[in-house]
Amino acid sequence: MRASRTDGDPELKAGSGTGRTRRAGQAAPAELKRRQALGILLSYARPHRKTFLAVVFCSLLAISADLLQPVLIKIAIDDRLLFEPGGLAMLLGLAGVYLVLAVISLLFSYWQANLLQGAGQSIVARLRNDLFRHISDQSMAFFDRHPVGSLVTNESSDTETISQFFTQVLHSLVRDGLMLVLILAFMFALDAKLALYCLILLPLIALIAVSFRRRLRASYQQTRAELSGMIAFVAENLAGMSLIQAFHQEKEQAARFAERNGRHFRAQMREVRTTLLFNRSFDLLGNLSVAFVVWIGGWAVLGERLEFGVLYAFISYVRQFFQPINQITQQWNTLQSTLVSMDRLWRIFSVQPAIRDPEPEERADFRPERVTGRVDFERIRFGYGEGHVLHDLDLHIRPGEFVGIVGATGAGKSSLVHLLCRFYDVREGAIRIDGVDIRRIPLEALHRTVGLVQQEPFLFSGSIVDNVRLFDPAFSREDAIRACERVGAAPMIRRLPDGYDTVVSERGSGLSAGERQLISFARVLLFNPRILILDEATAHLDSQTEQRIQEALEVVSKGRTTLVIAHRLSTVRRADRIIVMRKGRIVEQGTHEVLMALNGEYAKLVRHARGSFEQVSELAK
Amino acid sequence: MREARDGRELLVGHLRAHWYQYLFAVSIMAVAHVIHALFPGVLGSFTDDLHDGKLSHESVVRYFLMLVGIAAGHSALFGIGQYINHRLGRRFEYNARRRLFRHFTRLGETYFSRHGIGRMLSYVMNDVQSVRESIANGLNQTTNATVLLVSVTVMMAFSGIPLGLVAVCVVPLLVIPFLVVTFGPRIRQRSQMVQESLATMTAAAEEQFGGIRVTKTFATEPIARGRFAETVDRIRVNQLRLVKLSSLFQASLPFTGALSLVVALAWGGYHVTSGRLTLGNFVALLLYLRMIVTPLQQIGNVINMMQRASASLDRLNRLLAVEPDIREAEDAVALPPEAADIEVRGLTFTYPNAKAPSLTDVCIRLPRGRTLGIVGRTGSGKTTLAKLLLRVYDPPPGTVFVGGVDIRELTLESLRTQIAYVPQDGFLFSTTIRDNIAFSDRKMPLERVERAAKMADLYETVSGFPNGFETKLGERGLTLSGGQRQRTSLARGLVKDAPILVLDDSVSAVDAVTETAILRQLREARRGKTTIIIAHRLSAVRHADEIVVLEDGRIAERGTHEELLRRGGIYAAMHALQEGGDERCGQAERTATRN
Repeated sequence: MRASRTDGDPELKAGSGTGRTRRAGQAAPAELKRRQALGILLSYARPHRKTFLAVVFCSLLAISADLLQPVLIKIAIDDRLLFEPGGLAMLLGLAGVYLVLAVISLLFSYWQANLLQGAGQSIVARLRNDLFRHISDQSMAFFDRHPVGSLVTNESSDTETISQFFTQVLHSLVRDGLMLVLILAFMFALDAKLALYCLILLPLIALIAVSFRRRLRASYQQTRAELSGMIAFVAENLAGMSLIQAFHQEKEQAARFAERNGRHFRAQMREVRTTLLFNRSFDLLGNLSVAFVVWIGGWAVLGERLEFGVLYAFISYVRQFFQPINQITQQWNTLQSTLVSMDRLWRIFSVQPAIRDPEPEERADFRPERVTGRVDFERIRFGYGEGHVLHDLDLHIRPGEFVGIVGATGAGKSSLVHLLCRFYDVREGAIRIDGVDIRRIPLEALHRTVGLVQQEPFLFSGSIVDNVRLFDPAFSREDAIRACERVGAAPMIRRLPDGYDTVVSERGSGLSAGERQLISFARVLLFNPRILILDEATAHLDSQTEQRIQEALEVVSKGRTTLVIAHRLSTVRRADRIIVMRKGRIVEQGTHEVLMALNGEYAKLVRHARGSFEQVSELAK
Repeated sequence: MREARDGRELLVGHLRAHWYQYLFAVSIMAVAHVIHALFPGVLGSFTDDLHDGKLSHESVVRYFLMLVGIAAGHSALFGIGQYINHRLGRRFEYNARRRLFRHFTRLGETYFSRHGIGRMLSYVMNDVQSVRESIANGLNQTTNATVLLVSVTVMMAFSGIPLGLVAVCVVPLLVIPFLVVTFGPRIRQRSQMVQESLATMTAAAEEQFGGIRVTKTFATEPIARGRFAETVDRIRVNQLRLVKLSSLFQASLPFTGALSLVVALAWGGYHVTSGRLTLGNFVALLLYLRMIVTPLQQIGNVINMMQRASASLDRLNRLLAVEPDIREAEDAVALPPEAADIEVRGLTFTYPNAKAPSLTDVCIRLPRGRTLGIVGRTGSGKTTLAKLLLRVYDPPPGTVFVGGVDIRELTLESLRTQIAYVPQDGFLFSTTIRDNIAFSDRKMPLERVERAAKMADLYETVSGFPNGFETKLGERGLTLSGGQRQRTSLARGLVKDAPILVLDDSVSAVDAVTETAILRQLREARRGKTTIIIAHRLSAVRHADEIVVLEDGRIAERGTHEELLRRGGIYAAMHALQEGGDERCGQAERTATRN
């Protein structure tokens, strides 16, 4: 029985497996995965090729304008302009050119940033929509394996990291990368020999960056992990605060928090130390390089191999060297996170839905409008993981029949109905609707035919009307209201502050369990499936509300094949047939009277519901 | 225990406690910057020597070593100062969070139900971080900016560069702080809009994935996709609005720097040609001008940061100033250990901000060792009664007594340790099952935990898990089924073996067979102890010594199960509903036994 989802390797658990894409239990080489992930990202970027080209072009102009400025100064100094007659006019001319260059730099940097962001955001938006679609298409087994929280992180946090790849990393790579290349080019243009000397610095810089890279990343990730652990702890404690107070555990919980807080602090300090060390070493290297240039250049000038203006330009450039390198390495963390996020997204994208629409050639001719509602379970065998939950189960339901399914927890009742909805596929045997194997019915048609009301009704944040019609504009407001009235929910809804337009908050809080249940019944009426399943829908309610639900159930089950799973025997008393399940098999079937006469499993359940055997016979006297 | 009454006290207290460390850090960083400011000067005199032909190989080396010394000195000292600064900042974060958490544990349910958890989290996480960032970075940048500006000014004054020239060149740069202060808040605002649209998308994703079953069973995937796509697009739009402003800002700063260099080039160059400025000083001037762009920007940053931090501090201030609803009396007495009788006299209670009372004139007398059953419709006031007993809300004085003492005069600790509570929603924490059950005393021996699990009919199930009692539960204990969660919550209450036990609808999610078993065990275990059972299903309270039926906050009927049935009132009607008509069943039984 699916008691908990805490066991085993999630990858190994699912019913079907597309072996090639999922490497359960065996780690695929990280590089291969990463390359594929990168490939996917690039395929998203391809439609924006031209924009990226424009971005590079703008950057080129902007940076060149920037870098020409020291050259102008060099000219001013070297060409002895300052000491020649008419030099002032030339000087003013130079100043003018400088100004023009500054303006060019301003404009093109602005355009470059906007173009890049425009492309980047379109890419990310498409990625988000694709991911959402991909996840929504998955089967229920997927949602068992992946908690909602982690999927939301994928959809929101991971895509955001990838967005940052474009806004920060790529931006920096383009801008700073180009700058480095151009600086080197300018240096070489001015004086090749000195430039060569400066090149020695590059491996040094690379060395420092690389040796810090791993440590920086590890410390960064650890801080993040501790932080999210702390957030989760606080969130949970806030949610359960009244419980903590009722059990007088305030001090204990504060102590546990202190533990986590302390761990976070230590992780932060580790990160601070590493970052500081890195930044200061870089700083030092920057200044040392200038000193180096002074030394080498100074000797060169002495030897009259170098003009002073060139030396000035070199000093400027060398200083400008470090800024882009620093920026790029600062983006390193973001890049790492992007790769991690890409990995995570790839893992989701590579999963194929376990339950798939039938291929065109397999598709049966099935019209939801014409369905009579005959359901046949033929020798079903099914299990979630290793074992079997349903053994050789055979059940035939007539159109329009009201069937009640009872049994102890773990008997397989929920599994049976989930199979009918095709949340999972059977291992052996077949399920048919009107004689058609449900695997041959397109999923959309199947879902329009089989309706499910769950034990914990889910409501979206929106008005009651929207919740009833699930935001489908094909249903009018009047349709939704009529459905509510037929189900008996109208009095309750009219009592609400905004009536049918009352906005229900997430997860339906603000309404009682019974009220939410009635709304999900209204949904069923509106969407009109020919087959209806209620999964333990009547637990958790008080008798009055329950009566209303019973009445609504009668309305809703009229003319529909209805399967009800309940713990409460009063629900199924009026059923056309009651199925008693135990450990994955049907042990008894029949009407209430027949089963009571049998004095078997069903009778035992009835007795337990009403108290001891003695008491019943007391009443019977 | 000195409580922080004021958010500002939070910050000021921290600064006051560590002022000498801050002074030290500031001083070191100041020295570092002064050293750094020597750089252009050295380069300048190098240039002059070069120009005047006064250089030699040795003097080049000397200059080189000076520059190296400056570089090393600056990096080392600056690094030390920064370390101290950042460490202090993180210390502040740690202490602030510790205080906030403690404060949370004292706030009542009223507060939490009115303000969302998300907002509380944001205070603890983001606001504290924002304040820390501003004091750490603020200190950093202010020191940097001030010292650099001062030393550069001094250097320039001493270098012999005409101050008039300096003043003219600096004018374009003075725009920088204004740019920062103008653009900063607006950029921040747009950035917040991006964050908000991101949060909206996240909430939409959570909702859609959480309700995927509904979407699938009603085949409304295209509509769900469309709605989600809207939230995605809004992010895109907001990001583009943001970048328009931020890129303009970022490009404008170097532009003003370039402007001042243009002026320096023209005006300074003129000075050189007219012999009023040496070449070396000209070079130094250019370098100095480049150097002060950053400090000016930092001044602007600091102003922005301070504004943000002050908003965060305000929020923290208001949060810490909230007084807890439930306060222990000055002279509170401890509940004597074996006092387990409960009396409620004429209790009328209205929730704060509610229009009508939830309980009216309730009178109950429950002697020690007896079991009381409370039944009624949803909203009839059953859970309210339980909450008042535990003093989650304050009952009016003179209404609720435990052990003969008004609970408002008892210490919260003694009251809550003597009462074991099993709440309606079966809330569990993400820790091991054992830890959850042993919640009232984490150090209790495993046998006690196991015994409680057996009583709650949970032992077999848990033993079946691979890690048994050490199995960790996920977010909110959701990996367990509803019934399992409820039974674990039940075990948690039972393990306390407290003189008073309050069960709020604690066996509703289990099937009839399990329920009977649990109730039987419960009766055994609670012999001689006071128990209150609140339920919808009458099967749970059938064996109580007294049953009270609540209707609209009033006691409608009371008596034993048999008495109430005989009375033929509300209770009997409920009984009939729940059992689906005993008469017909009885008839079938009679027919069966007869045959």
